[in-house]
Amino acid sequence: MNDAALEITGLTKSFRVGFLGRERRPVLRGLDLAVRRGEVFGYLGPNGSGKTTTLKILMGLLRPDRGSARVLGEPLESAGWRHRIGFLPEHPYLYDYLTASEYLDYAGRLFGLAAPVRAERSRDLLRLLGLTRSANLPLRRFSKGMTQRVGIAQALINDPELVFLDEPMSGLDPIGRHVVRGLIVDLKSRGKTVFFSTHILSDAETLCDRVALLRSGEILKVGRLDEILTVDVAHMEVLASGVAEAALQSLPGVLRRHAIGERWRLEVKEAGLGAVVGAIEAAGGRVLSVQPVRQSLEDYFFNEVVASGSLDQAWEAGD
Amino acid sequence: MGSGRLRRVAAVAANTFRESVRERVFYNLLVFAMLMILSGLLLARLSIRQHEKIIKDVGLASIDVFGLVIALFMGVGLVSKEIERRSLFPLLAKPLRREEFFLGKFAGLALTLATNVAAMTAGLLLTLWATGARPDLRLLHAVYPITLGLLLVVALALLFSTLASPTIAAVATLCLVAAGRLSDVVRNARTVLPNAPAWLVEAVYYALPNFRNFDFKDRVAYGEAVPAATLAWVTLYAVVYVGAVLAVGVLAFRRRELH
Amino acid sequence: MTLARVLPLLLLALVPFVQKRVDASRGAFGGGDETLYLWSGAQVRRLAPGLQGLLADVYWLRTVQYYGSQKAFEGGSAYPLLAPLIDITVTLDPRMEIAYRYGAIFLSERPPHGAGRPEDGIALLERGTAAQPENWRLRQDLGFYTFLFLHDARKASQILEEAAELPGAPVWLRTLAADVVFRGGDRATSRRMWQELQAQAEDVAMRNNAWAQLAVLDALDEADRLRVLVQKFAERTGRRPASLGELVTAGLLSRPPVDIFKVPFAYDPDTGEVAIGPSSPLQRPR
Repeated sequence: MNDAALEITGLTKSFRVGFLGRERRPVLRGLDLAVRRGEVFGYLGPNGSGKTTTLKILMGLLRPDRGSARVLGEPLESAGWRHRIGFLPEHPYLYDYLTASEYLDYAGRLFGLAAPVRAERSRDLLRLLGLTRSANLPLRRFSKGMTQRVGIAQALINDPELVFLDEPMSGLDPIGRHVVRGLIVDLKSRGKTVFFSTHILSDAETLCDRVALLRSGEILKVGRLDEILTVDVAHMEVLASGVAEAALQSLPGVLRRHAIGERWRLEVKEAGLGAVVGAIEAAGGRVLSVQPVRQSLEDYFFNEVVASGSLDQAWEAGD
Repeated sequence: MGSGRLRRVAAVAANTFRESVRERVFYNLLVFAMLMILSGLLLARLSIRQHEKIIKDVGLASIDVFGLVIALFMGVGLVSKEIERRSLFPLLAKPLRREEFFLGKFAGLALTLATNVAAMTAGLLLTLWATGARPDLRLLHAVYPITLGLLLVVALALLFSTLASPTIAAVATLCLVAAGRLSDVVRNARTVLPNAPAWLVEAVYYALPNFRNFDFKDRVAYGEAVPAATLAWVTLYAVVYVGAVLAVGVLAFRRRELH
Repeated sequence: MTLARVLPLLLLALVPFVQKRVDASRGAFGGGDETLYLWSGAQVRRLAPGLQGLLADVYWLRTVQYYGSQKAFEGGSAYPLLAPLIDITVTLDPRMEIAYRYGAIFLSERPPHGAGRPEDGIALLERGTAAQPENWRLRQDLGFYTFLFLHDARKASQILEEAAELPGAPVWLRTLAADVVFRGGDRATSRRMWQELQAQAEDVAMRNNAWAQLAVLDALDEADRLRVLVQKFAERTGRRPASLGELVTAGLLSRPPVDIFKVPFAYDPDTGEVAIGPSSPLQRPR
């Protein structure tokens, strides 16, 4: 038994468009992917790159034109692995005439869980997600963020080994996002695998072990974030406080400066670092931190997309 | 594995029933009850000869019509709504197979209809009793086939809603029901269209869902009973036809891509 | 082929068989799906403005089906719903000639072939002739049935003369009108009438009925011939034959006499009377 939680091979899918469905618009082009057990895997890409389509194929909502997949070691077509996974769709709609508890109970029944198990897990999950007080309200009365949290709960009701989350942070306020981030970290610590797809790169940066970057139905790159994102040691980022703007204006070697309240974030060429630090201290300020500038995922993406000249394409191919 | 399947189908059925209760499908019962009461009181007061028969006729016809409306609109809405709103998606990711979902929906709706019809029948019997007429249990001989007919309507509505949008599904189902209720006209089409080939007329007659099979209203309103053998054959027809429609529906639903 | 694909085909194939059983089982009920006591023709008409023609067609078809299924499954019934169904049909569409003609014949014929109420059939035709005074066929039928069922030759003749005056009426109608009174003997005239009715019949049941009536007349002729042969036998041998088979042995007949339905003729040796066999489908109350 290998340690792949998910293996996708050559997955291809086109949609029929146009009058009478004559034309075919390719959405996935021979996707290859492997997710290891126990890792948090980010599935990233702009809108329309095929992230949701991939998930829909895995969930059995769509059929691929070509290609195959194995989930937890079992082929896609077999039904056994569905007992061991959880899925949160994007913008989940969950039967607004049921209460949160009832919905979780229903989900649990579909897994064949016994009544006491359903009740206990439902209680625990609702508490974890801060919904205990609203447990008996009909979902009709839930805000978007609350519904999202119930969505996450139903994805975890069967204590799955592998969890698929499509835009888990969507609709959540900062507290909600914090809770969900904590949840994902917790899942990882318990040896679960998390596959989450998002177009918000900062979330991926903080949570993922590895990511796959998807563009126009193809995998651009897979790997650990720190491998993909280059560290640019030629530039340093300096955080300083107590320095007037005037003092900074004349400093050579400062490529960029950015005010954050009372503080300044400066981008400085490595060669001129010493001079800048000295100048700040001489002006009566304090250097709070110095670290190499790291390319952000956003930058990477933007560069890749722009470099290949497909910015318009990427922007237009909305979901 | 067998019991797991059944449990899941039952879970979907129970939830569908709960949905119909909470979505207030049963409000029609209030209208029906008022109709029954009004007609009963009015007719008893006017003491038209045969007022008992009129109440029975109005009652049975109402059960038929209300039942049809519910069967049609719930049946059509059920699957299309789930697909449109994507409430289906988190469910199908679970070990719930498509056919289990489909059959569970049918079972839940059948339960809803049966409950509705039972309540309306009770109302009818009550009205008869209250107006001094004998509550004739032979009415059940008409109500039972009506219920069978409604199950067929539901099955058709479910089938069409997997294939097309809710509007088209509703229209298609309604057309089939109307054609099926005029099956005798189809059968005797050669009286007005002598050039129609006999084999074609026969084929259309047998292909159409024959809703007249389920219509015993007049017999029963005159106080006659329906022989058990006839009810048995009609039941068999319903089982076979509903089975066929559901089987096709399952196939269609399995193949459908859910965007 | 998986079970899932085979199952619907299997079930669909069963449908016609089960339907046939249902039809057979239900057949005894015929077309009794009308809440007739509520709807008279006039009421239906008021309720369905603009759809009268269509509804008339529907009710017409129901009438035909009612008659057919009642006849097939409940021989002996008096077709109680026939009159109301026809009433509704012609109220909805007073110009539907065939409804009058069909209704009249099957209201007039004795059970099991019809409702056995010739007065109703005549009344229906009178309604028809009132609604369509220029229609020679309706008036012709009125004349015919006055003769055939009410056995009133004079009245029949008068009506046929009126019919002969109407536009489009065939020439032979006038001759027939005269023959009815002057010839008097009903069989030849009856035969003429039934032949016309058979030729003019637009509906299979009507045509078959006329054919059957003609077959009865043929059988009656045959019975007459046999009576003559019996007479001959008696003259030759001085006694009546014990059975019609003796006529064969005596060389007067080539084979034992049977009617068109292969039912032997009935013979009473005491009186020498020959009649149509009592079990024959040709037996019709006169």
